[in-house]
Amino acid sequence: MTEISRLREFRSEVPETLGLRAEEAALRAAIAGEGEAIAPRRRFRSRVRFRTVAVAALGTAAVAATAVASLTVIADEAPGGAAPAVVHTMPVAHVRFLQQAADKAGEYPELHPKPGQFLVFESQMMNTSEDNSAEGHARYLYRMRRTMWMPVEGGPTRAVLRTTTLPPRPWPGWPIPDSARAGVGETTTEKAADFDDRAEWSRTDYAYLSRLPTTPEGMYAHLYTNLGTGPRADAQAWQNLGGMLTEAYMPAAQRAALFRAAAAISGVRTVDEATDAAGRTGVAVALDVPGSGVRTEYIFDRRTYRYLGERGVVTDPARAGAPAGTVLTATAQLDVQVADAPPEVP
Amino acid sequence: MSTDGDDAFHIGRSRDDPEAFAEIFRRHAPDLKRYVTRRLGADTAEDVVAETFLAAFRQRHRYDPARPSARPWLFGIATNLIGRHVRTEVRQLRILRRTGADPVAEPFTDRSDDRISARADGHRIAAALAAMPRGHRDALLLFAWGELSYVQIAEALDVRVGTVRSRISRARRRLRKELGESEDSRHRAIVHEEPVHD
Repeated sequence: MTEISRLREFRSEVPETLGLRAEEAALRAAIAGEGEAIAPRRRFRSRVRFRTVAVAALGTAAVAATAVASLTVIADEAPGGAAPAVVHTMPVAHVRFLQQAADKAGEYPELHPKPGQFLVFESQMMNTSEDNSAEGHARYLYRMRRTMWMPVEGGPTRAVLRTTTLPPRPWPGWPIPDSARAGVGETTTEKAADFDDRAEWSRTDYAYLSRLPTTPEGMYAHLYTNLGTGPRADAQAWQNLGGMLTEAYMPAAQRAALFRAAAAISGVRTVDEATDAAGRTGVAVALDVPGSGVRTEYIFDRRTYRYLGERGVVTDPARAGAPAGTVLTATAQLDVQVADAPPEVP
Repeated sequence: MSTDGDDAFHIGRSRDDPEAFAEIFRRHAPDLKRYVTRRLGADTAEDVVAETFLAAFRQRHRYDPARPSARPWLFGIATNLIGRHVRTEVRQLRILRRTGADPVAEPFTDRSDDRISARADGHRIAAALAAMPRGHRDALLLFAWGELSYVQIAEALDVRVGTVRSRISRARRRLRKELGESEDSRHRAIVHEEPVHD
């Protein structure tokens, strides 16, 4: 008996035919997802954000991503059958970072909003804005302070948004149009949204988020609901993650699961130093948005791992229309509280 | 080319009609699953096999149509992914070496007492596999379990055939040495225990 024939006997107990259901489901999902266009997710707050004209293209509304290398693995059994059973392997740095963020998720004092109450988010934001008017085409960065009263349960049509316009910043290479300065310093209070056409799974109210899975696998499946696989799915999952972080609040268990699931999204990496819209610096986890020339970063406090904000940074000047490293979009989550009611809308 | 088409034919077709890729899965998934299961155990194998086919599906545009069989390509992708679990693989081999119980094969052994003899030198084989460099183990197991030729292994691992040859021969030597030592000791034991009649 040669050593090769003995080696062939070794572990020959493993049967010739083994179940392949999960693997086939994963492939089927990928095949099905291939041709399917992924609808860009509409965020209700973009109504205010892009109050001027068009765009939405950069940073927030864009869609996309990449693939990478090795450490931990999340296998996803895809509850509901929609999301693929995928394994993503991850580079060390962002995995460790997000796991630490997950470990710390339970350390802050928890908010316990009750049904009927509102979560109040104080934030600062900067977004791209484009104007097409008789004076010609203009690009600039629109900034505001906002307070969002979000109902604990239900969509943003019951939410109230108060915004104060801050001085605009120039888009590199473009003059700031006069129209951009018009409303600076003004505060308006209005309904946050007239309609909410988001799918059920993209809800971000506390009641909904509280019912999400507390396992990384389950949360991963949730992030990929209806997405299939591949870079575009990864990018959309990354945007979905942002929607659950920004002007959203969930119990610590879900938050921890979310961070662990985020670590499994293919293509994620860390950015050692990132500054949020309020000037606070932290460590970011980032994903490139293919086709846009921008990467979307979620910034966390270096010490407490608390979520600070998000930003969109130019990686490809030709595509983004701004020099590499330019920050085109940014948010800072400054405070979250519970209130019994929103202010009156005039 | 047969009427059904070889693998290259179906992969070519799947570029326009993704559904055609299912045929590649049907043809190769069972063998691949068994191979990966033997290396990593059932749980990890499920992940690795799923990811192998997803990676293959995504990279199908880069598949060389001059290669009729997709087997080396798929085993190559799987080997890369197995590499990410090298610690799991080696840990399981060491458990077997140390305890004689194989975490990989055990779940399948319920009704196969007749396999016990096959497992008698399992701990020796495990010791040899655990101790050899990853590249050697990959080449050896693609040959012995994956039933790939040297040329196909070279294709799978993206190395020269000469490299495959030297890796396998060194891996075999290591395995022989390990098994030989066990045989020697067994022989000695037999000699000591059996009365010798002249």
